[in-house]
Amino acid sequence: MKILVAVKRVVDYNVKVRVKADNSGVDLANVKMSMNPFCEIAVEEAVRLKEKGVATEIIAVSVGPTAAQEQLRTALALGADRAILVESTEDLSSLSIAKLLKAVVDKEQPQLVILGKQAIDSDNNQTGQMLAALSGYGQGTFASAVVVEGDRVKVTREIDGGAQTVDLKLPAIVTTDLRLNEPRYASLPNIMKAKKKPMETLKPEELGVSTASTLKTVKVEAPAARSAGIMVKSVDELVDKLKNEAKVI
Amino acid sequence: MDIHFTPEQLAFRDEVREFLKQELPADIAAKVKLGKHMAKEDHERWQKILSAKGWYAPGWPVEHGGTDWGPVEKHIFDEESAAYGAPRLVPFGVNMVAPVIIKFGSEEQKRHYLPRILSGEDWWCQGYSEPGAGSDLASLKTRAVRDGDHYIVNGQKTWTTLGQHANWIFCLVRTDPEAQQQRGISFLLIDMATPGITVRPIYTLDGDHEVNEVFFDDVKVPVENLVGEENKGWTCAKYLLTHERTGLAGIGASKAAMRHLKRVATKQQKNGKPLIEDTLFRTQIAEVEMELMAAEMSTLRIVAAASEGGVPGAESSILKVQGTEIRQAITNLLRKALGPYALPFLPEELDYEYDGDVLLEDYSPALASSYFNMRKLSIFGGSNEIQKNIVSKMILEL
Amino acid sequence: MDFKLTEEQQMLQETAERLVRDAYTFTKREHASKSEAGFSTEFWKQLGELGLTAIPFPEELGGFGGSGIENMLIMQELGKGICLEPFMESVILAGGLITQLGSEAQKEELLAGIASGELQAAVALDELHSHYDLSHVTTTATQQGSDWVLNGRKGVVIGGHTAGKILVSARNAGDTCDQQGISLFIVDPNSAGVTRRTYATVDGRKGCELFLDNAKGELLGTAGGAYDAISYQAGRAIAALCAEAVGAMRVLCDITLDYLKTRKQFGVVIGKFQVLQHRMVDMVSALERATSMAILAACLADDEDSAERSAKLSAAKFMVNRAARYVAEESIQLHGGIAMTWEYSGAHYAKRLVMISHQLGDDDHHLEAYAAQLSA
Repeated sequence: MKILVAVKRVVDYNVKVRVKADNSGVDLANVKMSMNPFCEIAVEEAVRLKEKGVATEIIAVSVGPTAAQEQLRTALALGADRAILVESTEDLSSLSIAKLLKAVVDKEQPQLVILGKQAIDSDNNQTGQMLAALSGYGQGTFASAVVVEGDRVKVTREIDGGAQTVDLKLPAIVTTDLRLNEPRYASLPNIMKAKKKPMETLKPEELGVSTASTLKTVKVEAPAARSAGIMVKSVDELVDKLKNEAKVI
Repeated sequence: MDIHFTPEQLAFRDEVREFLKQELPADIAAKVKLGKHMAKEDHERWQKILSAKGWYAPGWPVEHGGTDWGPVEKHIFDEESAAYGAPRLVPFGVNMVAPVIIKFGSEEQKRHYLPRILSGEDWWCQGYSEPGAGSDLASLKTRAVRDGDHYIVNGQKTWTTLGQHANWIFCLVRTDPEAQQQRGISFLLIDMATPGITVRPIYTLDGDHEVNEVFFDDVKVPVENLVGEENKGWTCAKYLLTHERTGLAGIGASKAAMRHLKRVATKQQKNGKPLIEDTLFRTQIAEVEMELMAAEMSTLRIVAAASEGGVPGAESSILKVQGTEIRQAITNLLRKALGPYALPFLPEELDYEYDGDVLLEDYSPALASSYFNMRKLSIFGGSNEIQKNIVSKMILEL
Repeated sequence: MDFKLTEEQQMLQETAERLVRDAYTFTKREHASKSEAGFSTEFWKQLGELGLTAIPFPEELGGFGGSGIENMLIMQELGKGICLEPFMESVILAGGLITQLGSEAQKEELLAGIASGELQAAVALDELHSHYDLSHVTTTATQQGSDWVLNGRKGVVIGGHTAGKILVSARNAGDTCDQQGISLFIVDPNSAGVTRRTYATVDGRKGCELFLDNAKGELLGTAGGAYDAISYQAGRAIAALCAEAVGAMRVLCDITLDYLKTRKQFGVVIGKFQVLQHRMVDMVSALERATSMAILAACLADDEDSAERSAKLSAAKFMVNRAARYVAEESIQLHGGIAMTWEYSGAHYAKRLVMISHQLGDDDHHLEAYAAQLSA
């Protein structure tokens, strides 16, 4: 079984982002970039499925600038077998990404597509769902457990107030939540091996996808600074403050 | 990661060295190395040689007569120039007003002023500081009032470096006294021959005439001499300040000064031995040289980042502080190297043409003077304290 | 000229960074520090499993074929966590000495173990009165038949208390400070004639004094000719310490900056006071200088031995020692009382930063070394 895993290059989660002076976006100059943490979980899940003998091949795919090869190389070091970069320097919307992924899905015919539920840069939480709609596959979003049995996959989803398990027919789309697994570290031998694994680069035009966006970013602003916290002396005082100062209970 | 220059960069360095070896006049290099007085004609001669080679304005776009050098090439050029004793370019025209005209000026202004800077026809000076506006530049008071197709300028500028040689001055003037500090300022180009301008020398503590006061008394300036929009001059000023700061670390010059220090310390003696063999003195040299090594590496890191498209930002402020402190430390050791012979004040021996008896050595008369003169480094271009404010605000977000 | 990392180097850095961040919380470090080993044997195992202990060794030994740059990357991350493991001592210094001096048999026997982390080695170069001078060796080595017998006392052997092997410098000829006549021996710390006194160090690690009383040593390299290799490998270790210090300084600067933005006095956060702002800028500026010098050291560490390499490594250690102490002292002062407490993590960064200068030469030592070559 082939698994396609989507990975996104984002600002490292440890970096404090800064908004550009002209409010056009986030300043990316000299900022450390990494693989989106939810995508790491997606890669890890695919690798575990391969280690269990369920999957035979893992293809990592990313849409982004040339530099996104770094994140694909990381996916290869974590255990993916080959990688595809759909190269685009534009700031693409979720829908464009989903269309591009759909084209890759058509080309590669994977049985399972695993994506992070959202990327920590724009927090859209859309691409997986859009890809499911475009491809007509079933979707199991916010997965905290993934079990493949024959031609079906059971996905346990984190929902408000508990967990829900959906049973999907393959091929299917899964998006990962935080508690699905704990991603491994890329070991030195695997980093060395990743150097030799194949990486293919495609252009959106080659996939026959137009990436013209229907969305425009009007303004990007930093959130208002939070005021400092305070220590309360007792539960009573806390309740009192929540009631009378914060007015939340 | 590799701290060595690429073969192409090394080839470029050889080309620069060859040029300097062939073209830099020996008398000018000697004046620079020994700290002798430089005449206006010396600067002009060197500028013409650079211009002929097409290397006078490396930072300009090619279409205006610049080069296609990247940050690394510019760094190599500055460093080699300093090593060979080329005079530091008087920056006001080529490196200060020109970038502003290129960025904010009209086509007409570019066509008129840029070629005259390249040819050496115009000598520019800077009208920024005022008696009441130093580090707090935005509090400047020189007024320009619109009167038909002219501005009438009144006020006083100070610390105008080499203004005695200049035929043009670029000024920050207040065009809207009602607006908040930075808002009502404009950037004006003024012909020094205009009636109403008086230049008065300021003699600095080393006895030198390098800076001046410039007085404006109902000076009529055509409105077409305004660069950019009226009341938006602060944008030009800020742009220029970042331009200025990047070169202020002066690593190439400090390296040349360090070599000079070692030469001097080899000639000067203590306890019958060259000073450089004196444990205490050479330890002090060692300390500064190691600081300089670190500053050089930091410069290279910034230069390399810049050639990747990064914009040198507030980190150049850190480097300005570091670089100027290092240069001052070197001049301090040069002065100390002379022992009691730092005391004689011999301005006549600073004249390159001087043919009388030399009291001590050809290098000695400049050293104490230069020590005092170099105190300016941590004051100009945004004092080192202002640089720390910038870092604190821009990098640390305090 | 290029300061970028390769893809592999970036991945290596990321692995180390994440590992340290996950494994080295303050409480976990405290726990490891107080354990018998004085470091986390579990973390040491992880370093081995992920291949990080194999970084500087050739690929045929399962290594990364890494240079000073790779060593710098991992040491920086270990510094960020003020990790207690004797990585520099075992992997870089002992591993380097064996690679440079060892016979094929010795390399085969020891390097695979060091590269996998299964063998933790230590190096005993200091003595009671050596004061960073690596040629000051009074411990004696005498040949008896085909064996070498060692007598004397080696001091402050970091990681020596848990080491499977200790490399010991001893003199078989010449006077106390001669560079000629110094040999290096592999000593099994559990063999007859070897006793150790284990102690904790001020920065939370552990080390020992090593007493050799007719102890057996296996010669590494040629008799009497080990000094050049010792000094060369000490240079590599110096580069590693510089990188470690930079990692620790970076975190301590961040901690201090955070504190300036949170702590209120006189009704405002104290970071609003210009006197503190400028001191913070000075700390960051010291960090920048140290970073530059650590990079320089890393780029030179594996170069061929030369006077220029030694001088620049001395310059690096001097600048980093100074910056480290400066950042340590300033961070405590800017924090005030809280940084004087054991429970505050910043205090432990400050201690490690000052103690780094006591390994392989403090600022005076390297200033003197650098100055001496000026008039040479």
